[in-house]
Amino acid sequence: MPEINFTIDIQTGEMEMKVEGIKGPRCVDVTKIVTELIGAPEREENTNEYFERASVRPKVQNKKNG
Amino acid sequence: MSKYLTFTDVVFKDRELLVAALEDIGCNQIRQGENLEMGSYYSEQSKQKVAIVIPRDSIGNRYGDIGFERAESGDYIPIIDDLDRSRALNGKFITQLRTAYNERVVKKVAARLRGTIHRTVEGGVVKIKVRY
Repeated sequence: MPEINFTIDIQTGEMEMKVEGIKGPRCVDVTKIVTELIGAPEREENTNEYFERASVRPKVQNKKNG
Repeated sequence: MSKYLTFTDVVFKDRELLVAALEDIGCNQIRQGENLEMGSYYSEQSKQKVAIVIPRDSIGNRYGDIGFERAESGDYIPIIDDLDRSRALNGKFITQLRTAYNERVVKKVAARLRGTIHRTVEGGVVKIKVRY
C-alpha cells in the first residue's frame, strides 16, 4: 500500500515529505498535488523506487507511418 | 519604529487552507475581501491593501493589523508590523501558521487520495503518515 510520510518541524514550520510504495515516476503525481498547495520544494530527491519499473507497464501503441 | 513589513519569503498558495490555518492558531476575527485596508495606527505604518486582515490586538499584535496581500502569482504574502513580529503569538505567529497550514495541506492531500491519516508528535516534530 503506498504511503506518504510527512514531517513538520514545529520550531520552523518547515515540512518534508517522502513517498513510499510507488514504483516509477508515478509518485510525481502525488508530489504535484502537494506542490499545488505549498509551492515548489527547496530540495527534491528521487528515491530508488523512482528508478524501478512499475509492475503494470503502460501499453504503447506503435505509430503508423504515412 | 513601528512599520509594516512584507514577508515575501513566506507564501501561502491556497486561501481556503490559509484561513483554516489562521483559525487553527486562534485567529477568530478574520476579515476577508479584496483591497481591504490595514489600519494605520502609527505615522510610520504605510497604507496597505490586502485580501485578509487579522485585526490589531487579536493575537498579541499590539501595534497593528496583520494582513495577507494577494500577489500577482495568486500567492498570499503576510504583512506584519515590525514590532509585532516578536509579540504576535509570542513571536511564533509565522512558524505556528506555517505548521498549521502544512497540517491542513496534509489533510487535503489525504482527502484527495482517499487515504487514512496517522499523526504523532515526537520531539518537536509532527509526523503524519498518509496511506492510500
